[in-house]
Amino acid sequence: MNYMPGTASLIEDIDKKHLVLLRDGRTLIGFLRSIDQFANLVLHQTVERIHVGKKYGDIPRGIFVVRGENVVLLGEIDLEKESDTPLQQVSIEEILEEQRAEQQAKLEAEKLKVQALKDRGLSIPRADTLDEY
Amino acid sequence: MFRYESLEDCPLDEDEDAFQGLGEEDEEIDQFNDDTFGSGAVDDDWQEAHERLAELEEKLPSAVNEQTGNGERDEMDLLGDHEENLAERLSKMVIENELEDPAIMRAVQTRPVLQPQPGSLNSSIWDGSEVLRRIRGPLLAQEMPTVSVLEYALPQRPPQGPEDDRDLSERALPRRSTSPVIGSPPVRAVPIGTPPKQVAVPSFNQQPVQSCSIDFPPPETSSWKGRPMWKVLCPKPVHVRPPVPPRFPAPYGERAPPDQLCGVPNSSLLGHPFPPSVPPVLSPLQRAQLLGGAQLQPGRMSPSQFARVPGFVGSPLAAMNPKLLQGRVRQMLPPAPGFRAFFSAPPPATPPPPQQHPPGPGPHLQNLRSQAPMFRPDTTHLHPQHRRLLHQRQQQSRNQHRNLNGAGDRGGHRSSHQDHIRKDPYANLMLQREKDWVSKIQMMQLQSTDPYLDDFYYQNYFEKLEKLSAAEEVQGDGPKKERTKLITPQVAKLEHTYKPVQFEGSLGKLTVSSVNNPRKMIDAVVTSRSEDDETKEKQVRDKRRKTLFIIEKTYSLLLDVEDYERRYLLSLEDERPALMDERKHKICCMYDNLRGKLPGQERPSDDHFVQIMCIRKGKRMVARILPFLSTEQAADILMTTARNLPFLIKKDAQDEVLPCLLSPFSLLLYHLPPVTVASLLQQLMSLPQGTAAPAPSNPHLSTVLQSKFGLSLLLVVLSRGEDLQSSDPASESAQSNPWTEVMFVATRELLRIPQTGLAKPISIPTNLVSLFSRYVDRQKLNLLETKLQKEEKGESMDILVQPCSE
Repeated sequence: MNYMPGTASLIEDIDKKHLVLLRDGRTLIGFLRSIDQFANLVLHQTVERIHVGKKYGDIPRGIFVVRGENVVLLGEIDLEKESDTPLQQVSIEEILEEQRAEQQAKLEAEKLKVQALKDRGLSIPRADTLDEY
Repeated sequence: MFRYESLEDCPLDEDEDAFQGLGEEDEEIDQFNDDTFGSGAVDDDWQEAHERLAELEEKLPSAVNEQTGNGERDEMDLLGDHEENLAERLSKMVIENELEDPAIMRAVQTRPVLQPQPGSLNSSIWDGSEVLRRIRGPLLAQEMPTVSVLEYALPQRPPQGPEDDRDLSERALPRRSTSPVIGSPPVRAVPIGTPPKQVAVPSFNQQPVQSCSIDFPPPETSSWKGRPMWKVLCPKPVHVRPPVPPRFPAPYGERAPPDQLCGVPNSSLLGHPFPPSVPPVLSPLQRAQLLGGAQLQPGRMSPSQFARVPGFVGSPLAAMNPKLLQGRVRQMLPPAPGFRAFFSAPPPATPPPPQQHPPGPGPHLQNLRSQAPMFRPDTTHLHPQHRRLLHQRQQQSRNQHRNLNGAGDRGGHRSSHQDHIRKDPYANLMLQREKDWVSKIQMMQLQSTDPYLDDFYYQNYFEKLEKLSAAEEVQGDGPKKERTKLITPQVAKLEHTYKPVQFEGSLGKLTVSSVNNPRKMIDAVVTSRSEDDETKEKQVRDKRRKTLFIIEKTYSLLLDVEDYERRYLLSLEDERPALMDERKHKICCMYDNLRGKLPGQERPSDDHFVQIMCIRKGKRMVARILPFLSTEQAADILMTTARNLPFLIKKDAQDEVLPCLLSPFSLLLYHLPPVTVASLLQQLMSLPQGTAAPAPSNPHLSTVLQSKFGLSLLLVVLSRGEDLQSSDPASESAQSNPWTEVMFVATRELLRIPQTGLAKPISIPTNLVSLFSRYVDRQKLNLLETKLQKEEKGESMDILVQPCSE
């Protein structure tokens, strides 16, 4: 039954596997079990997928209830095409390690940049002191 | 601790009614009360149950200490003990000084009239131990009825007294969502994250069929000083999960506050269709509550109160019951570790879950579905509403399970996808009714009186699509493709002006502020600065702001004017003249805005217009307005533009929006008389008037020629002039034709102009060659051509010789 043609409604996405990107940057993959008018989602058998470079790792999380306002985007996963990805799956420990390393590298680059700017008498206000919106 | 206290503070009307309903019918009768009017009164004999509980409790002392650390072994031993062992154990578990516990005392106190027990409770409320011992006695003797699936979700309750039962049942939530109802396998194992050493576990495991336990945590709070664990047995079959301390939030943080829990069943029963207090996602306890049977009309329950019991999930737990009753311990074992394995091994990301389920519950599946209707759960310890909801939900789920298993929305067309859906036991957790509810809300949000205003882009897009499909249809006469359209209800939107509540004759106003009645937070006073204070920069800034403001106003007018056509079609006959007048008026306003009308003045300086034209939005707006203006007005605009073109070109360097004006200008040109065209050309090239000697250099013209727009405009003007000339035989001969004169001067200028970086015109009119040939001789014509040719690096020659337009 085509619920609401021409509109974006999540009703037809129920019981299908979805990838949900949250505002805090997390990527969740799970079966969409329930929704409401605010697009709050109930995800079942959710897995949090962490991507670092060409590798990714899955952390099983169980059931997630996501408040609608925190969703950036979500999309249905084609079960047949799901496995055809050039990315390589690794273990959780490894991906977390990679993620840590990546964060570390980013922080250091940022530090260098700020230092360079400071040397030139410029400053860029930090993101956390700015309004997020 | 706070939980209990707050429960105390909660209005317990219903609870009281339930148990005093027998004696006190004059009081407010809660018609929903199951125990008085519903199945509780008929089926469940809470009195006996309580007696049983009391006796069990008595025998439960001080065995706590012995059970610490028994861990998993105890879970296995669930069914191994006989009643006698139980009695012994229970007697060890209860501590003597338990009744100094204020909670228990209070509980006992508020239930003075319990039941006609031998050596009744009525006698001495304060003789707590005596009371409780008696309560527990009968419990043991009875056969344990099987428990519903849902109660596995519920942690242990202390059946110390009816009220306590209720209170604690509502407070006791598991640490994690281990509700067996939705989405997770039945809880048989220790949930993830449960601390390994639960004192509760041993007690639990010592229970035979007829017991369950609840324990109070070790003394961490002031009220529990020095009190070891105390177990109370309740007449429930095995609740495999370690019982959760019912009142201490510390380890189990996610429990709903008791008042909320009290509130939830109430609100649903009061029939609010979508009670705001009911969150879309319920805690496991709430979910279980709502699953309880209740004599509610289905419509009264919010769809969010769904908690469907999938048959698959239900059965394994139900399986335990008959087995428990039969005392077969070993049957318990396979499910337990199986499910523990389920929990410990994270489910892989790929679907589907049923493939990973441990084999344990599997075999039970078939048998138990048939047995489901036979269960008569012992729900005495539950809140009456809870119980009611539980039962009703069970019945519903039984029906649904039969109907819906495997059915439901199948969006996938691929077979594998359908397979997945077929095998997915968690499918259709969201009922059709709930889906309809959500889509109903979404449809409500789409209601509007003026869809063109509220939902412009959507309407336009779909119109375009329709036109496209209609066009396609006409071309290729294939079958008409029915594109399902969303028909949004067109509802007259009533304007509700909100007036905050005011009481008559009261002093002062209510301080409540809401979204409709916001409170004024800041008194912002507007102070306009005096002219003297302003510096030059500020004046410039203000001027720019004013211009922007004018642009915005004019734009709104423009949008309205553009909309008139549609409105005209939709309106009635007599309204049309009025509409036309409105439209005319608006057009006048627009023009005035553009030219900066000042009362009692001749057309003022171009400044106002130029300012507007310096802004990108202004240019685009002018381009859109031009078609609506009368010829004179439009010609005026064009003249002004031409006059100030170099300045505008300079300002347009970043935006590059001027070319958008070309097409309305060209359109306009075709309506202009030759005189105007001639003067326009003059303006454009800033040709010297009359016979004045030409200036050594013509920066105006060079700027114009260097800009794409300028050059294109020039060419268009020239072309138009040529058309006029050639089409009007009378003027052919007249040498004093203004156009001719101008042209002579123009060609002279053009020849003179150095060939420095001329722009590429947007389009080259086709009649330029003939134009120029009229006025210049062959040699100069070649020169002109080469000049023009140089602009486009070789393209123009072809274009000139073989007329074609871009």
